[in-house]
Amino acid sequence: MAEPQLDLKKTYDAVVIGSGAAGGMAAHVLTSRGLQVLMLEAGKKLPIEEELRSMQWPYDNAYRGALPPDRHSLTLNEYTIRNPPYGPGFEKSKHLHSYVGSTDYVKNIVVDERENPFTGTNYAWVRARCLGGKTNIWGRLALRLSDYDFKAKNRDGYGENWPISYSDLAPYYDKVDLYLGITGVKENLPYLPDSIFQRPTKLNCAEVTLKESLGKMGRVLTQYRAGVTSDGLKHNQYRSRCFGRGACERKGGCDIHAAFDSPTGLIYPAMDTGKLTLRTNAVVREITVDQQTGKASGVQFVDSETMKDYAVRAKVVIVAASTLESARLLLLSKSRLYPNGLANSSGHVGHNFCEHIMGPGVVGQAKDLVGKPPTLDDGRPGGFYLTRFRNLTEKHPKFIRGYGFEGGSGSRMFPEGTDKPGFGAAFKEEVRKNQGAYISMGAFGEVLARYENYVDLDPAVKDKWGVPALRFHYKFGDNEHRMAEDMRETAQEMFEAAGFNIVHVSTHVLTEGWSIHEMGTARMGSDPKTSVLNQFEQSHDVKNLFVVDGSAFVNASCQNPTWTIMALCWRSCDYLADELGKGNL
Amino acid sequence: MSTKDPVNLKQDRRQWLKTSATVIGASLLPLPAISSEVAAQTAPAQDKSREAKTASPFFTPTQHKMVEELSETIIPADSHSGGAKAAKVADYIEQVLRETVDDDQKSTWREGLRLVDLMSQHYSGKSFVDCSSEERIAVLTVLSGNEHLTDLPEVRFFRDLKRLTVRGYYTSKIGIHDELEYKGNRMLAQYVGCDDPTPKSS
Repeated sequence: MAEPQLDLKKTYDAVVIGSGAAGGMAAHVLTSRGLQVLMLEAGKKLPIEEELRSMQWPYDNAYRGALPPDRHSLTLNEYTIRNPPYGPGFEKSKHLHSYVGSTDYVKNIVVDERENPFTGTNYAWVRARCLGGKTNIWGRLALRLSDYDFKAKNRDGYGENWPISYSDLAPYYDKVDLYLGITGVKENLPYLPDSIFQRPTKLNCAEVTLKESLGKMGRVLTQYRAGVTSDGLKHNQYRSRCFGRGACERKGGCDIHAAFDSPTGLIYPAMDTGKLTLRTNAVVREITVDQQTGKASGVQFVDSETMKDYAVRAKVVIVAASTLESARLLLLSKSRLYPNGLANSSGHVGHNFCEHIMGPGVVGQAKDLVGKPPTLDDGRPGGFYLTRFRNLTEKHPKFIRGYGFEGGSGSRMFPEGTDKPGFGAAFKEEVRKNQGAYISMGAFGEVLARYENYVDLDPAVKDKWGVPALRFHYKFGDNEHRMAEDMRETAQEMFEAAGFNIVHVSTHVLTEGWSIHEMGTARMGSDPKTSVLNQFEQSHDVKNLFVVDGSAFVNASCQNPTWTIMALCWRSCDYLADELGKGNL
Repeated sequence: MSTKDPVNLKQDRRQWLKTSATVIGASLLPLPAISSEVAAQTAPAQDKSREAKTASPFFTPTQHKMVEELSETIIPADSHSGGAKAAKVADYIEQVLRETVDDDQKSTWREGLRLVDLMSQHYSGKSFVDCSSEERIAVLTVLSGNEHLTDLPEVRFFRDLKRLTVRGYYTSKIGIHDELEYKGNRMLAQYVGCDDPTPKSS
């Protein structure tokens, strides 16, 4: 792999801030269009295979796979009873992580909360500062949006429509499918368009029972649509096809990279073009502006290890730091010309912050599977996805928009049911007999984009590098809580209809942020007064500035955002390359 | 062992705590004699200084033996597979407690082992390790039946004992391979699912 060094004297065609799904895609598209690209990543390049160790048995790990004892990861209870910043009170632990950082396999991937404080309302903010960001450990559910989402305002009058339609994005979804690989089954659903799928996974017996029962109710259960290559990718030498090793079930990632991650899927191939320069440990603190032209001129960053400051120049600045970090960076980039922060003449940067509400769900037991010989149930990237069924043809009286369920069933390396009361021979036998009979699912619902849900800069608190911290003003609203009530009821009803014993029904709504699906803080739109970006994720105010991550979303839909982030980014970067070529930027 | 009416732990413990001063001499556990419940909940200062030496074992040999029997009572050997003792769950728990930065957890265990031994003296006149397996089950049944009384240190101990035993056992070779006969974590050519009765085009 060619690895050109950072050249401070050079003016790059484009500087990309962030190396996750969005940054990686920008690097891929722009280098393939012949541009000289500099990518800045705030974290390290980790020896990722050594971190993930996807096939390590728990008994071969010094902590049985758990977090080493000098570290702590925040629990749901701690998020509930404490307010940010979450550092104080955990002084005994050398490192403090978000709830995701609870295994030995992710401890160096997620950030230390104390180095990266934030303030305001409670939020389970999961951040990964390392090459590839959260794509190293993402859940892999790769769904498309449809005009039920892009034109949701036309259906219920709420919020804003996206400045694009499904037909604008469909060709780019296709490109993402083919370049990165996705497994799934065609369903021909207007509200959840199919991808170009590789070999699908299969459902196990409890899942088939549920699917058949749901079919009678007119609801659709389909195989987990995973951003995983099940057939392999001839054009990519860094990724293997999936071998169903089962590690998808635990908090970690895929060390053979069958599951998409940005470094092996996008960044290493981009480096092979010789046109990508990567600089890690680069904490960007400001996008600089030419005060004559009003255009972005480059960025200033601090080296995370040496604390030394650097300035780099580029013709185009591409922000891909993740929804909340991108908003933070725009707000940090204040100048005489842009006193409210860059690209913020609308005042909408940081606002319309939305995501998915989680918590309600159900655990059941397929009676006919109790006591059956053990089966291999986790040898696939995921179980099932139960698609949205609310507010498609009929209007729900209590809430707008929809939700879907992610679920799975069967045996795993660590059994279900050990939290039941009792002990002794009977307890042991119960765990053994029931281990393959469990089936469970949890909902992901659309949180409405609201101006009142926003982030801004804390006037006092700064991070380890002296950069002002984000302050949250964000709460689920009435529509979300009414939707959560419905999720709980329908989850139970559907499991009862399938003939499952109900083991547990979750009613509790998880802390804001739990879905790790932040969106909307620099939304697209056709009106510069009420939106930050145009349909190509280009700033209305600063034409050589693009924001290509989840912050561009106009609403959250109920589908997981990663595949849409990458399709949008591909489309925007194609436009960017065209415009740069024409001298329009 | 299954009782419809669990022992009223709050009532019973007054008796076994009262007699603790006299029976402690008979106990094999080298722990300071503490006769009041209030004192029982605060770890003595000399214990804390001992904790500072992290490399030395957390359990005394006698305590280790007791933890082996406690964990085996939670997950016993049966005709299907070995139990917690064979899976060396006590060694796992020893490591967790030796390395933890949570002093409350350490106190819970020190205090819990002492209290369970008092219970054992009270119910069967013997220390826990000298009990028959039926007598051990009887002691843990009292705690299991009162699992909701988390204000009691012996209950908090029982819950952590069960949690760590479960974790240690089902992450061990015996737990994964012999007991659950887990089939995954290997290269798989193709996942075999349930035959889908309505196969789709792809």
